[in-house]
Amino acid sequence: MPATDKRHQEVIKKIKLIMKDVSADLMDQKVLPVLDVPKVGYDNTIWSEEKRMLTIGDKTARISPDSTKKIPTFAQYLVMANAVRKLLDEEMESTIRGMYYATLSTVGDEKNKQKFWNSQENSDDAIKAVELLTGVPREEFSVTSKPKGMISGPITLRVGGDLIDCSLGSRATSQLIPTNIRDVEIVDVKADFVMVVEKDTVLNNIRKSGFIQKYNAILMTGSGEPDRATRMMVKTLNEEWKMPVVVFADADPWGLGIALRYKIGSESLSYDSDRLVTPDAQVLGMMFSDIYRYNIPEVARLAASEEDINRAHDMKKKPWFQDKKWQKELNIFLEHEEKCELDAFFKHGFKYLAETYLPEKLREAGVI
Amino acid sequence: MQRLKQKATVEVAASAGQKNAKPAKVNSQPPAPVLQQPLGRGKVRYDRKAESEFFVDNSALAGFTGERILYMAVRELIENSLDSCESSHILPHISLSMKMLDPANDMWLISCQDNGIGIPSDKVPVAVCSFLTSGKYVEKQQRGLFGVGLKMIAAFSTKDTDHPLKVWSKSEEEKSEHYFELRTDIGTNKPIVLLKKTLKADESRITSDSGFRVEAILRARLSPITKSKIYDYISQTSIVNPYAVLEFETDDGKVMFDRRTTVMPQPAKEVLPHPSDMDLMTLKKAITNFMNQKTTLQGVLSGSFQKLSAEKAKEIIKNAGLENKPADKYDEHELIEIVKVCKKTKFHTPNTDHLSPIGEEILTVGMTSEYTIVTSREPQAGTKEKAEQGIEDAGNGKMVAAGNPTQPQIAVKILRPALTAYSSKTCVVNNRPTIVECGIAYGGDIGSFKIFRFANKIPLLYDEGSDVAREVVSEVEINKMGISKKEVKEQFANPEAKSDRAVELLPLHIFFHVCSTKIPYKTAGKESIASEGELKHYMKSCLSDLYRKVSAQIRKELRMKEAQSRLNLYKYYIPLIVGAISESIKVDSIKLEQAFTELAEKHVTGEIAGAPVPEKEDAITGKRIEEEAGEEKGANIEVNKGKVSAEQIAAKSAKPNPPRSRQVKEEVAKVKATVPKGERANPVEKLKATWKGEKKTAKQATGQTSLDVYSAAGDKKRSKR
Repeated sequence: MPATDKRHQEVIKKIKLIMKDVSADLMDQKVLPVLDVPKVGYDNTIWSEEKRMLTIGDKTARISPDSTKKIPTFAQYLVMANAVRKLLDEEMESTIRGMYYATLSTVGDEKNKQKFWNSQENSDDAIKAVELLTGVPREEFSVTSKPKGMISGPITLRVGGDLIDCSLGSRATSQLIPTNIRDVEIVDVKADFVMVVEKDTVLNNIRKSGFIQKYNAILMTGSGEPDRATRMMVKTLNEEWKMPVVVFADADPWGLGIALRYKIGSESLSYDSDRLVTPDAQVLGMMFSDIYRYNIPEVARLAASEEDINRAHDMKKKPWFQDKKWQKELNIFLEHEEKCELDAFFKHGFKYLAETYLPEKLREAGVI
Repeated sequence: MQRLKQKATVEVAASAGQKNAKPAKVNSQPPAPVLQQPLGRGKVRYDRKAESEFFVDNSALAGFTGERILYMAVRELIENSLDSCESSHILPHISLSMKMLDPANDMWLISCQDNGIGIPSDKVPVAVCSFLTSGKYVEKQQRGLFGVGLKMIAAFSTKDTDHPLKVWSKSEEEKSEHYFELRTDIGTNKPIVLLKKTLKADESRITSDSGFRVEAILRARLSPITKSKIYDYISQTSIVNPYAVLEFETDDGKVMFDRRTTVMPQPAKEVLPHPSDMDLMTLKKAITNFMNQKTTLQGVLSGSFQKLSAEKAKEIIKNAGLENKPADKYDEHELIEIVKVCKKTKFHTPNTDHLSPIGEEILTVGMTSEYTIVTSREPQAGTKEKAEQGIEDAGNGKMVAAGNPTQPQIAVKILRPALTAYSSKTCVVNNRPTIVECGIAYGGDIGSFKIFRFANKIPLLYDEGSDVAREVVSEVEINKMGISKKEVKEQFANPEAKSDRAVELLPLHIFFHVCSTKIPYKTAGKESIASEGELKHYMKSCLSDLYRKVSAQIRKELRMKEAQSRLNLYKYYIPLIVGAISESIKVDSIKLEQAFTELAEKHVTGEIAGAPVPEKEDAITGKRIEEEAGEEKGANIEVNKGKVSAEQIAAKSAKPNPPRSRQVKEEVAKVKATVPKGERANPVEKLKATWKGEKKTAKQATGQTSLDVYSAAGDKKRSKR
């Protein structure tokens, strides 16, 4: 059945085309083939004012088996492409770690043995290269990561053909957001807005308080660094289902960074921003000023590390931080050199976060 | 006054102690028994110590400390022999033997024989036994200078054993061989001749025209470390003396270092001291030499120092505010003035006739056939052949092996580097002319980095860490060789390397030779050179010169090495790549592998030759794959829709094979206008567009799938609203 999946067929076809081109270069043209793969990362990420998100630049890396360094890389890309093709031929799916194991081998002879992959990072890079060369995101060729995103609230999903109502049991538990997004469908949404929080612990607390029912909200978390499925779900809810999206993360540069993954994207996935980023998401908290506005006691505050401070200085210069409000917030942080987790509100009582802080913030933003 | 009085009483007390004895100076007896008499409280006795006794008590001054006794003995014997040969321009042939005589008592028999000039029979006992008696107290470069080494061996032999020191000498003048059995009277620094005889032809041990042989029994321990230092010492000596034959025999076997050249360095000549190095002592000594001739100071100065003309001497005396009068008519204050003026006066640079550098020719011979002693640890299990085979494999060099195969045995291995270079500088260090020589040998049989240090042709083996050479090597940047640290680290990454300094990863031997009559040694043991004055500067400039000299060749070597490692990589990775391709598409994998291998080899050899490798312009990009996929798809759609022009169809059918990448490109250019826009997007754009651009098609095709599901439902909702 999925063997006839046209998307899969297209990926297989593209991989075969890459292989054909490589062998044609070698056998007919008698030149070493070159794979020209867009560079991913810090030095090839551009802020797009128009799209309000991080996008990939036009720097590319020429990977050709013509130097000591690139011969292994070239081989890795082709081996990975072939492994993806096999996976699709066999109608299976795999995690990125699974792909690492599937392609694991040693190279060289007894005297000079090397690992094919130094670490899973290398194989993840190779998967990225296959994505970039085929122009197809890896979820489309059934390579996923371990799910860690969670969702609760008045939304119905169809996962693998079965309906899942995420409002059921939403006082006690959340649903994992599947990473094999090809098997997931949003069937119905009855909420008024979507609230994304940084950590699952905070989500649990808010859910338990009856927040979902009281405000008719969908609660989501990426459990720290959000995976692609979570980001995509947020985007779809915002853009296709017209749900306002608000984001709450810890009041430290790291938490702020995570909140921004949803809103502007990230350097390592800048090539995929169009699918992943929700520019209309509002980052509402926790603001550095909230530490003082809500009188978080000193014992619950943490001293900023040197890394935090450097990060904040960096952020201040970024084009997406030129808003006065954010500059002010960063200045507050740099002045006090203190940070704070959302969990710190528990010091004011276990219900304070869900029943006082969040409603106040949401009301200010006009969401409720 | 008080003090003087005290001292006087002490002296009285001392002489009172030997009231009945005659004064010590007259008495031929050593003052030793007197020492044993107890002194009264607060009394101090002033005694004179014989040189021999002083050196035995302070043997560390001459380097003879516990562990190092055998090492120092070997060193002194070889150095004496080489000096003796070179002083008369004789090609040295030296046989050294070091064997365990009595393991229970740590007794060693050490012997050394040379074909040098020998020592006249009447001088032998003093030359062997009396400290600070030497024919070398002159201003010229020699290995030994102090007249201590051989005497130390004699004294230690006397001190620790009841064996005599045996000496055979056949001097150039006498032509007859003499045999001596000697011991040292340590208390008086005088030789004790136990036996002296002239040998008849049939008793002769020395076959050469002249020569010297010494046999000593010493009590010493030999740790493995010291043993390897002795081996190093002999190996390194052969590097800077390739004109010498060195035979070396131990309990582990016998090795021979061949003579590789008959060229010998110019022997050093004795020269006059340089005036800028003058002090009161040298000046007074010079005046004493002219004592009987009533020479004026001007004459003494110009006759006793180099680079000092009569005119210059006159000027100096004038500048010191003195009259020119017979030299012995000056008092010390006046002479000090002369010295002061000399220190301030500029003279020509001292000449270097008294120095004997190794020279480019000889050092190059030494470097290109670097001998090292290797120890085979093959136990009884293996046959002799096998043992030798083992070393051969490891060393990959010519073997000259001998000895008992059942024991760990020593052999000589010759390292042949891929390239060598030499550079030298003459300079003045500490007011003494100094010649710095530097050589490097790279690659070939040389497997790792090493610094070789020589001072006046003597290898320095200890305290490398504090030697100026070490500083020089770490301060001269490797990029003078035209290679970067990064390249080196990539090509020579060696997990066993002790240091992560890039230069020390190279298969490079660096040789420094400093010759001067006054080497700034750090310690009395003469094992490392202090980083003094200008010396370091000159050494650095020598090494920089060399790095520049070899840069072209090293770069080539590096390219070769890179090429080699690349060929290995191809060997390992091509099957993987071919495997990935042939599993995905129908292709003749044997032909593909062949084509790839040929191409890879061509690429590598092309790069070694330095030919510019043509850059492939038409890379495989996501865009191109997109286009090719789009081309096929697009063409199909067009065909189905009957929109493809006849021209395009003709172009397609004209090609028997499925379109190759470049052809596809051309075609794409042609069909561009008719291909749906979304299909031709940039891959990244395409990736971005996946959700929206294609969802319709996907939805139409399969009903409900994938990512677009979210939005498909979204459409529903919107339509609801």
